[in-house]
Amino acid sequence: MSTESTRVAVVACPDWQAVAAQCDLHARGQVFDAVAVLHAQRVIARTAAAAEQGVQVGMRKREAQATCPNMHIAAHNPERDRLMFEPVVHAIAELVPLVEVSMPGVVVLATRGPSRYVGGDDALAQRLTAITETALHKLAQGQRIPFGVGIADGRLTALIAARSAASVGAPRVIAPNESAQCLAVLPVSVLADFAEVDRNVVSLLQRLGLAHLGNIAEIQPSILVGRFGPVGNEMQRLARGLDRHPPIVVAPPPERASTYRFETPVEDVNVVVLTARETAHELVVHLGNHGASCVRLHISLHTDHGEQNDRVWYQPEGLTAAAMAERVRWQLDAWIASRGVTSGVVLFRLSPIGLRAKEGRQLGLWGDSTEADEWAARAIERLTAMLGAESVRVPEWRGGRDPAEVFALTSAAVVDVERRALSHVTTDVRWNGALPTPSPSVVYDDPLPVLVCDAGGEDVTVSGRHELSAEPTVVILQQHHYNVLSWAGPWPVEEKWWDISRQRRMVRMQLVVSRNDTATTTRALVVVREHGQWWVVARYG
Amino acid sequence: MFPEGGLVRGRTVLCSGDAAVAMALRVVSRATQAGSWLGIVGVHNIGVQAASEHGVALQRVVFVQPASSRTEWVSTVAAVADGFDVLMLEVPRGITEADARRVQTRIQARRNALVLIGTTQQSAVQSVFQPDVIMNTATTRWHGIERGAGYVQGRDVQVAVSGRRVPQARQHSLHFVG
Repeated sequence: MSTESTRVAVVACPDWQAVAAQCDLHARGQVFDAVAVLHAQRVIARTAAAAEQGVQVGMRKREAQATCPNMHIAAHNPERDRLMFEPVVHAIAELVPLVEVSMPGVVVLATRGPSRYVGGDDALAQRLTAITETALHKLAQGQRIPFGVGIADGRLTALIAARSAASVGAPRVIAPNESAQCLAVLPVSVLADFAEVDRNVVSLLQRLGLAHLGNIAEIQPSILVGRFGPVGNEMQRLARGLDRHPPIVVAPPPERASTYRFETPVEDVNVVVLTARETAHELVVHLGNHGASCVRLHISLHTDHGEQNDRVWYQPEGLTAAAMAERVRWQLDAWIASRGVTSGVVLFRLSPIGLRAKEGRQLGLWGDSTEADEWAARAIERLTAMLGAESVRVPEWRGGRDPAEVFALTSAAVVDVERRALSHVTTDVRWNGALPTPSPSVVYDDPLPVLVCDAGGEDVTVSGRHELSAEPTVVILQQHHYNVLSWAGPWPVEEKWWDISRQRRMVRMQLVVSRNDTATTTRALVVVREHGQWWVVARYG
Repeated sequence: MFPEGGLVRGRTVLCSGDAAVAMALRVVSRATQAGSWLGIVGVHNIGVQAASEHGVALQRVVFVQPASSRTEWVSTVAAVADGFDVLMLEVPRGITEADARRVQTRIQARRNALVLIGTTQQSAVQSVFQPDVIMNTATTRWHGIERGAGYVQGRDVQVAVSGRRVPQARQHSLHFVG
């Protein structure tokens, strides 16, 4: 039995979404002990402080607020969860080069090599604990973030061990071949908590009198399949401590790894990602022809200077070409952010290391991907082919003080749009020093030069102490004269002063102006003064 | 404000005047929240943060930049209409009545909703497209900003609603946040 499931170690941070939101707020100078993350009006994660006051996962927003009034409520933001988790993944990858991040907050790694290297599973668990603790300590600036390390046969057992380790505070190692005994005494609800089995199925199991995983493991698989369909078989495998899907039994398709070699080193992330998308498309079609889809993908990136970055990505429903390209972008962005790259990319390899039989996807009735999402995904593919990847883009939250910086547009071809439609792109976190709400509805990509003059016709200047030389009276924009009716500011903006090449120093103002000849229409503008020149950056259109 | 209570599939709405973009964002926001996708074609310089504040569900928004030629523009809009329920367009110069009719036939056949933004050449767009509903906006007052104090907190907007499907042209006063 143990030959079928690999021995893995799991590092898990429970309620990572809430912890990420808390750290993100902390980095902006807003300190909250109790933070909860909401998705579709329900709490999906909360910090330990909120949990102590009685906030539960699954609560409605009002209910949670009533339970814990001083709690900060953050919107669900998968991008933030992933970015905040990156330092932890990076720290673990220093010890074990090949790690798998199936979701933010959980790192899975095969223990065979690393355990031998550090001298046994217990030693590995200790090392992982030490590494994670240091990384989290840095991230939380001194606060304690709960996490756990578990080692066992099979993912489910290791994940459960890690979660129990998180509450105990010490790593938990389950000896080889003992996973099944360990699971047998657990209630069936862990299938819903840790293995994404439908809650209705779990509730049915309980009503049938199957309270523990041990009960399920004793039943013949054929009976469970007869009652529950394919899920029955999966539950039986999970209950016995095996991996959810059996390793694919058909002969593996030939040429499984797709390697692409650039002729010259490429420094543009977009070029790499778009090339990866084409390669991924070929790979997905190739696998599809053999009736398989890829659930676990190993991405390897190489640079001209011989640096190499490896990561494994997992998605139980199978990765599409766009999803693979998105993973390449995440991995490359993280690698660049960690300053591990000194030259262009010369080669990438996509190796599907986990396959499952391809099955059609059932569309959900509520809250799941809809037909509209599928239509949109197809239209995006067609438009990208027609107009090029740079002409079809989707907004992504980046954060910033400048109205043009808060959202960046990324090429839609390399975003898994159907999955994205289920999440929230926007966030209620605002940077200190950003423009106050409401935001301007027209933001110029290329700011327009403008003259701001005082009553005497002189250019209005701003002193080093951010004082206006005179009241602004007239604005000359595109050879039209406008009268200034009211103004606000100047607000100083100083960014990245620690970095000479990227530092910015400017002042921002809001002006309400009216045309000289037609005094009835007024417009509100956002102007900045940088390097002794006024620019219109946005307009309330 | 709409004669039929909201955005209707197969119809064309034109938002014009000095609050055209904010008005258009408000018009489409409810549809995107209900699961419809929004394709924004050729609208330059739209404030994404403002779109989110007006209630547009950004996870279902795609920005498309069509090629500059006129025929390409029509085929791009047709391709967008194939995949997205709601279209937001800024009409480029030189679009003829024949082009407009092709776009509108497509919209009616595929049951999309079309929202046009007419900022600069509103009268031209109006005569070419003959929209079902026209919302002409004019800001009357800015709130929260004074001479050297405060900041823009909102505004009062006069909206004149007219068009082919509007039996009586009417004026509405709205308070906009943004």
